Amino acid sequence: MQIKYILPLLAVAGFLFAAYTVISGNKPVPVAKAVTEPASAPFKSFIAGAGIVEAQSQNIAIGTPLPEIVKTVAVKVGDQVKAGAPLFYLDDRDTRAILAIKIADLAKAKADVSVAKATFSDAKSLSDLAEAVTDRRAISSEELLRRRNAMLIAKARLESAQALVQQAEAGVADTETTLSRLVVRAPVDGEVLQVNIRPGEFAQAGFLNTPLLVLGNLDQLHVRVDIDENDAWRFDKNSKAVAFLRGNRRFKVDLTLAYVEPYVVPKKSLTGDSTERVDTRVLQALYRFDRKQLPVYVGQQMDVFIEAQDYSPSKDSDNRQDAKGSSS
Amino acid sequence: MDLAVRCQNVVKVYDTGEQKVTALNGINLDIAVGELMMLVGPSGCGKTTLISVMAGILDQDDGSCEVFGENLIDMRSRDKLNFRAHNIGFVFQAFNLLPSLNAAENVSVPLIINGMKRVEAERKATSVLEQVGLGERATSLPSQLSGGQQQRVAIARALVHSPRLIVCDEPTSALDHETGHNVMTLLKDVALHKDRTLVIVTHDARIFDFADRIAEMDDGHIIKVKGAR
Amino acid sequence: MYYIALKMLIGDKGKYIGIVMGLTFASLIMTQQPAIFLGLMTRSYSFITDVGLPDIWVMDPKVQFVDDIKPLQDTELYRVRGISGVEWAMPMYKGLLKARLTDGTFQTCIVVGLDDATLTGGPPVMLEGKIDDLRRSDGVIVDIDGARDKLGKPSPVPGGKPIPLKVGDVLELNDLRAIVVGIAKVTRTFQSQPVVYTTYSRAKSYAPKERKLLSFVLVKAKQGQNLVELTRRIRETTGLAAYTQAEFKTLTFEYFMHNTGIPINFGISVLLGFIVGAAIAGQTFYNFTLENLRQFGVLKAMGTSNWTLLRMILLQAVLVGSIGYGLGVGLTALFGYAMRNTILAFKFPWQLLLFSGAGVSLICVFAAIISILKVIRLEPAIVFKG
Repeated sequence: MQIKYILPLLAVAGFLFAAYTVISGNKPVPVAKAVTEPASAPFKSFIAGAGIVEAQSQNIAIGTPLPEIVKTVAVKVGDQVKAGAPLFYLDDRDTRAILAIKIADLAKAKADVSVAKATFSDAKSLSDLAEAVTDRRAISSEELLRRRNAMLIAKARLESAQALVQQAEAGVADTETTLSRLVVRAPVDGEVLQVNIRPGEFAQAGFLNTPLLVLGNLDQLHVRVDIDENDAWRFDKNSKAVAFLRGNRRFKVDLTLAYVEPYVVPKKSLTGDSTERVDTRVLQALYRFDRKQLPVYVGQQMDVFIEAQDYSPSKDSDNRQDAKGSSS
Repeated sequence: MDLAVRCQNVVKVYDTGEQKVTALNGINLDIAVGELMMLVGPSGCGKTTLISVMAGILDQDDGSCEVFGENLIDMRSRDKLNFRAHNIGFVFQAFNLLPSLNAAENVSVPLIINGMKRVEAERKATSVLEQVGLGERATSLPSQLSGGQQQRVAIARALVHSPRLIVCDEPTSALDHETGHNVMTLLKDVALHKDRTLVIVTHDARIFDFADRIAEMDDGHIIKVKGAR
Repeated sequence: MYYIALKMLIGDKGKYIGIVMGLTFASLIMTQQPAIFLGLMTRSYSFITDVGLPDIWVMDPKVQFVDDIKPLQDTELYRVRGISGVEWAMPMYKGLLKARLTDGTFQTCIVVGLDDATLTGGPPVMLEGKIDDLRRSDGVIVDIDGARDKLGKPSPVPGGKPIPLKVGDVLELNDLRAIVVGIAKVTRTFQSQPVVYTTYSRAKSYAPKERKLLSFVLVKAKQGQNLVELTRRIRETTGLAAYTQAEFKTLTFEYFMHNTGIPINFGISVLLGFIVGAAIAGQTFYNFTLENLRQFGVLKAMGTSNWTLLRMILLQAVLVGSIGYGLGVGLTALFGYAMRNTILAFKFPWQLLLFSGAGVSLICVFAAIISILKVIRLEPAIVFKG
């Protein structure tokens, strides 16, 4: 085969291969699709915020009045409880032992009363006998005085014994109160959201980072929305708001404002991490929504969009500068 | 008698910068149509310069050179090209065949220059090759041919477009005696006829016999012209 | 006459191949070197290309290029989200973290944290596993090049190739456990560090404790939204920098161009290649004409006009030029094809095809012009000189 044909043929082949490389090598890199489409606001101008779902009653972190070992837990997560229903029992053996002592004390006090009564009636009858003798010579006046005094002493002893019974009764009542405080009861009607104690664990009294038990009323849920303080001025109580469930933007629900907490608080990033960082302050608005529309759980995060007035940065850029300055 | 070439007082000076070499110093020469004129003389006597002027590939500095009644120096270069392409055939000492072209293609070059289609030109070239006795070597490359064959191809090339004047520069000096003789025979028999003039530059004394006339040159002059018509 | 020109060119095989080879070499070096250069430069912003979904990247105004991370406060995400014209905005963490390998060595990795819910901005091509697998606890996705090489387990044979990381293997990122749940194919980065994808919140826990950890906010514009307008609005509203994807690429590219020696070095090498190629090809072609000068003289004597000779030479130049060019770019493409799975950077855009084409044309035209001048000046009388 002659070189004069080979070279041009090779050249054409080379060029075609180069062209192929160019075309195939410059195909745009495939774009990774988001696993789920992110939620997007249905409004033209809006404020976006992260919201966390909570019960309308807010979430009641149940505490214990006495620090004690937990004996039994009477409820489990998800139980509906009436007000006054016992939630968990603390160890009461110690108190019961004290109660037994107190009851025994009471019994002894009562027995002492009987003794005192007997003594009194004895003294009284001796005294009455002596009083009944009309012949002053038959009994000395000294004897008469002695018998009368013995009767009075016995009477006082009886009264004292009776007071001791009262004291013992009060002691029993006190221990019984203590005993009843060892049973923690539901303060309101609601649902048990979280149980963080198990029998045998020590229930600490006082404020706890992890509440022993969380109770809430789930008939109506609220979503607490964090609004960046920089955006707070745009927030309008009367504007519409929508919440999207994270993970599937088809789940959306209209919100109605319940109330706004007027005190701007340091924002905790809502990750549930124990080392939350405070990065800015946020205005918290609470919105009501119909629970039936969403398969939502208390504590879940939602993307919330609140319609806001149209904001033209150029118009009041000076204000923005101030707002930024204060945040940092 | 028609004149093919009429040179009158032709002067050509090569200016190499340092010195001036007078190659032609007042040449007067008439060559008739149908004549085989040989230019002989020692090297550097101006023979090649003279045929270059006659063939229109070199302009003289003085005097006039008319070829078939046309004064070449007065022509525009485009016309001169055309004139050369149609009227002049060349045969060179070194054959000057294009080494990449085969014999037929080499021969067809003047026709193609004159605007003939390649296929037609090659057909005609092959027939001319047959005339010079190389019909069966039409597709050979020059390197596959012997010297004599190459020169015959060159002659065919000089003939193919039927020029009226063929200039030959030492056509035989690169060839041995017998081949040279054959080439000359060919030139005389095939190339020369009543309408065609041959001017052959040579110093090969063995071929002087083929000439109608011989002009002897030396130092830019024509010393004498032997033979007559 | 063109036929004669072609015959003249091709007839002399040695010289013909010589010229073609010279031009092939020139076009090869003019294509391959810039291709490597471009490949390297594309890598500087390959990360942006890979994360193709967002239209706009929002970041700290002082960010100079994609690896220059200056984190933002988390709330900036919501401020960006609140700008009209934004379809969605997602957080992204990007940072360099040390991974501890099974043999105890440390390897710096690019850790990318994707939005937990949507996993926006994930790797473009998954070879094993799914992006969703990131939702598994401690899950990370590792890029294939990193898995094969830098993050691989040590070879049982000393000096051998490392055993590639597989799905299910465990890494240690900042003393925290990370389980490989997927292998992805990503475009290599400039420093060729392994890329580890995980969720945003997990990336935050891997990252050293800092007040701010949000590297970028990825923004998708609403349908029909003017991107330039939107970036301007984001800039003015938040005071952050917002770039469209193309702008961010340009920013990164420019940074590397102005702040590293790479462009100069490669520029010189390309220029040298061009000069050497031009010299070789031009010289061979000119030599070819010189050696054929006698033939051109014969043609001229026989009545060929300068114009025709010029066209003949141009034809020859065009022919050898295109053959050399075709072979050169073909070889370059072959080179790129052979190197496609190696660490070598290589990118062959159509502009480069034009560039080397123009380069080869320039060489040919230049060589042809010199040759033509020589032929035009040629006295046909030389044909009579022995």
